[in-house]
Amino acid sequence: MRARVFVTLKPSVFDPQGTTVSDALHTLGYANVKDVRQGKYFELDIDAPTAAEARKVAAEAADKLLANPVIESYRIEVEETR
Amino acid sequence: MKFAVVVFPGSNCDHDAYYAAKHVLGQDAEFVWHKDASLGGADVIILPGGFAHGDYLRTGAIARFSPVMRDVKKFAEAGGPVLGICNGFQVLLEAGLLPGAMLRNRSVKFQCEHVYVSVEQTDTPFTAACRPGQILRIPIAHGEGNYYAEPDVVDRLEKNRQIVFRYVTASGAVEPGANPNGSASNIAGLCSERRNVVGLMPHPERACELAVGSADGLVLFESVLKTVTQGAFLGAEASAKAAVTAR
Repeated sequence: MRARVFVTLKPSVFDPQGTTVSDALHTLGYANVKDVRQGKYFELDIDAPTAAEARKVAAEAADKLLANPVIESYRIEVEETR
Repeated sequence: MKFAVVVFPGSNCDHDAYYAAKHVLGQDAEFVWHKDASLGGADVIILPGGFAHGDYLRTGAIARFSPVMRDVKKFAEAGGPVLGICNGFQVLLEAGLLPGAMLRNRSVKFQCEHVYVSVEQTDTPFTAACRPGQILRIPIAHGEGNYYAEPDVVDRLEKNRQIVFRYVTASGAVEPGANPNGSASNIAGLCSERRNVVGLMPHPERACELAVGSADGLVLFESVLKTVTQGAFLGAEASAKAAVTAR
């Protein structure tokens, strides 16, 4: 199973890097890009019998290590692989 | 009195802290490798600055799983004095020994300069020899020192008097202009509820002799010496030492 974990800063948390990227895009002429939020992306190759089990493992990994709950939240997608 | 300076792979202010404790303050000091399970009977623990584990994932995120952190936690929970400087502060936050988290500096730049901080609380083991409101000129050197906590957590820190250091102007005013990184409420350093664990982003250990531009940081080391030798801090060091040696 492959779990994709997307970690982003919570909406209430200021993102200095995202703001800088947004400014750079505006310099390139993309005035229609209203906001940029930068985050982290993880691919976890998990040996698990079911998608639900893989999701559980990925969620534990995110809670314990991949995300800091004080400032970040996460979203998980699971895909079956062979 | 004995200091333990924890060394993580990537620590780079460990020798500065050791030098301040051993050669400026004239006390016993020992390096403790992060994989060591023993703190060597130290009275005080310092988590130094640097880039533990390369700052991979987040600053301090991997360091908090180092074997030595189990004893650091036990020592802290038993009331022993623990000081986290810069990256050491970030490790304390990730380990949950202090509340909140660090964000990238508002400037998105690595800020390396001397700043002014005010001592807001003198009833911690690392500020016991300070005057209330004393202004220290000490250096910062960090990319992620933008302290963040939910507003209700910051309110609680204010109410519990856990904000120990704030970025200020040379005359002591708490202003946005004196804030080098965007930290909430100009927070430069905190203590735990029990007050024995202190973390700060500025580097007092790099400001212990006039030859390096400032000796204002020495008072933190003098404070903990005073606290431990006078048994002024609830005699907690003794029970903290016992907590990590009895196993």
